[in-house]
Amino acid sequence: MKNRYNNLRYQTWSMPDGKAKLALMEEAIRIADQYLTEEDAYQSRMDYSSAALECGCPERLLVSFAWCLSKFERQPDQYSSHSIMWHYKWVLNQIWRMPQMTAEMIGQVFDDFKEKCLHYGYTLRPYYQQQVSYMLSQGRTEEAALYYKEWRSAARDGLSDCKACEQNLFGVYYFRLNQNKRGLQMLKPIMEGRMSCGSIPENTYGNLLGPLLKMKEYEQAKETAAKAYQVTNGPQYLKEYGTLMEYYTVTDMPKAVKLYERTIHLGLAFKMPWDRFHYLLSVRLFLQEWSKARRRKKLAASEQVTLEWLEQETRSLAAAFDARNGSDYCTLHIEEKEEQIRKLIAVYRKS
Amino acid sequence: MENKNFQVNLQGLIDLLSNHLYSDAGVFIRELLQNGMDAITARRRLGHQFDAKVTVELYGSHTLAFHDNGCGLTASEIEQFLARIGSTTKKEQLDAADDFIGQFGVGLLACFVVCDEIVLITRSALEGDPLEWKGRPDGTYEIRKLKNQVPIGTTVYIKAKADYEEYFDYYRVSELLEHYGEFLPVPIELVEDKHKRIVNEAVPPWRMEKKEALDYGEKLRYQRAMDVIPLHSAIGGIEGVAYILPYSVSLQEEKKHKVYLKQMLLSDKLNNILPQWAFFVNGIMNTDSLRPTASRESFQENELFYTVRDELGSCIKQYLIDLSARDPELFKRIIGVHYASIKAMAVEDDELYELFIRHLSFETSYGTMDMDTIMKEHSAVLLAATLDEFRQIARVAKSQELLVINGGYVHDFALVRKIPDVWENADVALLDILQFSNRFQELDRADQLEVEPFLALSDELLQPHQCRSAIRWFEPADVPVLYNTNEEVQFLKLAEQSEKEANPLFADIVHVVMDELYDVPYARLCYNYNNPMVRKAVACKDPKLQQVCIELLYTQSLLMGHYPLSQEELRLMNGSLLQFMNMGLDQAVGGEA
Repeated sequence: MKNRYNNLRYQTWSMPDGKAKLALMEEAIRIADQYLTEEDAYQSRMDYSSAALECGCPERLLVSFAWCLSKFERQPDQYSSHSIMWHYKWVLNQIWRMPQMTAEMIGQVFDDFKEKCLHYGYTLRPYYQQQVSYMLSQGRTEEAALYYKEWRSAARDGLSDCKACEQNLFGVYYFRLNQNKRGLQMLKPIMEGRMSCGSIPENTYGNLLGPLLKMKEYEQAKETAAKAYQVTNGPQYLKEYGTLMEYYTVTDMPKAVKLYERTIHLGLAFKMPWDRFHYLLSVRLFLQEWSKARRRKKLAASEQVTLEWLEQETRSLAAAFDARNGSDYCTLHIEEKEEQIRKLIAVYRKS
Repeated sequence: MENKNFQVNLQGLIDLLSNHLYSDAGVFIRELLQNGMDAITARRRLGHQFDAKVTVELYGSHTLAFHDNGCGLTASEIEQFLARIGSTTKKEQLDAADDFIGQFGVGLLACFVVCDEIVLITRSALEGDPLEWKGRPDGTYEIRKLKNQVPIGTTVYIKAKADYEEYFDYYRVSELLEHYGEFLPVPIELVEDKHKRIVNEAVPPWRMEKKEALDYGEKLRYQRAMDVIPLHSAIGGIEGVAYILPYSVSLQEEKKHKVYLKQMLLSDKLNNILPQWAFFVNGIMNTDSLRPTASRESFQENELFYTVRDELGSCIKQYLIDLSARDPELFKRIIGVHYASIKAMAVEDDELYELFIRHLSFETSYGTMDMDTIMKEHSAVLLAATLDEFRQIARVAKSQELLVINGGYVHDFALVRKIPDVWENADVALLDILQFSNRFQELDRADQLEVEPFLALSDELLQPHQCRSAIRWFEPADVPVLYNTNEEVQFLKLAEQSEKEANPLFADIVHVVMDELYDVPYARLCYNYNNPMVRKAVACKDPKLQQVCIELLYTQSLLMGHYPLSQEELRLMNGSLLQFMNMGLDQAVGGEA
């Protein structure tokens, strides 16, 4: 059984990110549970957690993490506190993406994380960072600003995100406050190649595109999109694919179609509601434009993906988030997006 | 307020260059060659007629003289290039292809990686007096006029510093000159004592006839390529060749293309100049227009770069399209060797998809078949998303005359899904594994009534294992049960365990994930009424015996499908096996008595 376990793990290393990879890892976990040591079971779940994010099933992280956290809490001397806390950060970044998680539950998770940071001797820098993202997702910019201040002033330590990732989020923060120039400045070191990591600059391009268009920097937007188109690769970038699709819907329809065909099956299988919401909203904007002309080509998954279905799906997702958050931020976001693309189309038609 | 310049510590800068910017100390040869070439170009622009030449002379005690008969430098140019090294000229200016002086200074700095002093003797093509410049890595230098006459051009003298002597040995210098300068259009002569040799007589492979180019590739890489593809990019000013490797390579393997910038080797391990899908070729090419990065070991990845890469990709594509008509034999052999690569290409590109799809083979319930044959014999196919699903039903599907394709291997799923793009009437349906047994023949009314209690018992027993039961009539008869599960069943088993194990807060969270994002799918166990043993089990009417049969058939089907058994399932299997053993023994003992 140890052989079969090793074999499965070995196979997963050379597999592309996707559900098939997770299925093999699940089998490995079950073997570890039955026949190997608890450490094996723990370690294979920790690996599974990070793979779940990369394979486009972030909700599965919550499942494997819950098991590991419990083992860790029972025997904190057995396992690395740093590793589990690092994963806990990911959990904080995912938990609010499901509207079915109540605000109370989310609050408890944040509190627990905070307490554990203090207990294991870490600063609260990542705690504040995650609070900023959570607040921004609801449009609560005032609270976000308070947390942002705390985030910047807490000291960096081993639990902090890498500098490139943080820098990227500084930029995102200002973009969300509509301080685009400031945001752009924050991203400069990344765009000049002075800061990078495993997911930066891939992540950055997508974040940059919208603000550049708002600032009427069309040339730079074009370059950024071209780079993003080249480097964005993997199921975890669903939201980024959507952003790019929107851009090409306005500027280069055949490219938008290509992106749609490349990603729609991934998007339909993606369960995490937040990412799904944003992606399907992009698809909707794309399909609205596409449907304006008579087309010979039949798009992939065209039976399921209709304008009515997209409208219903995005509206109900937005409503679910708004109900939980007690605001109308997501519903307004839909309208704002529609308005933006209308304006953009007008600009590009003129030129 | 007064603006002041802060002091740059040149020693620190040199250290930075040697340890970080360049990947190998040997680049000083490249930089000297580059300076020489630029000087020769500049002198030609002045309209001078001369036989351009670079001479590298080696002396004892690890000293080297690098001479070119280019345009030389004037006193003011020397001052200027020195001022430029540390000055804050913008990057773009520094990289500008024609900024000879700016680059000259930076290039010379690379020499400090291997020596402690540079002596440069030069006579400009513009002014008369020869000059000597002596520079040291701390930034100090002297300049003086020479009385002796020297020919127009520049000679750089350097002496190895400790630990870098080997870079001044004959074999090493010769190797480096060849490495970087093999295709330079100006003769490079290497001299030691009385021995002289021109190191760069080679014609680049993109100027060769096909056979020669193949021979060249064989000499370089110790293996003969299957064919050679010419590469051109007008906007990238690229000429080159791509060798089709004679063995298959994995997607993960690092690509190593050899790329020259204006005939000078830029890198022999550039991995991104060709599209990612083109991992079955090895390129050698020269560009006149792409812009190098500061280290001059790769290119800046700007829009031009990506456009050029696409253009080179089109060359490879067009070659393959032509080849399929011109030499179908070779075309087939290439497909045979580079199967994985070609699948990756076909997924990416519609044109190539059309070209290749009929030649690609897939694992099906009828064995491995190419798509052309599949489409000739079947217009309707079922596509299994994972290898596991395919394995569950492959054997049974064939007996039902169903063609199922295994989409579990990399790219196969996407490739099969696109079939209707080429064969308009083809019907590709996704296999829903849990509904698969619904395709089997239903029992007639009387049989149905008879099996009902057995089925009810089976459902009751297997409920804790999230498995539902059915009975149908199907081929082959020797398969007693068909167990089907999808990948989410595995995940949900994990989730259940987590919920039990987790602290109360996270147990709730796991519960929400399972409840809200996943429908709990039950696995299916379909009994085959065509199987004599199943019929006997149904007919025996003894619930105790039936229970043992059900438990054993269930656990055996898990084992056959390589599914890990839970503790409870293991217990079932052991219990039922022991019972059967006992019954058998009882009978044997009873029989003897």
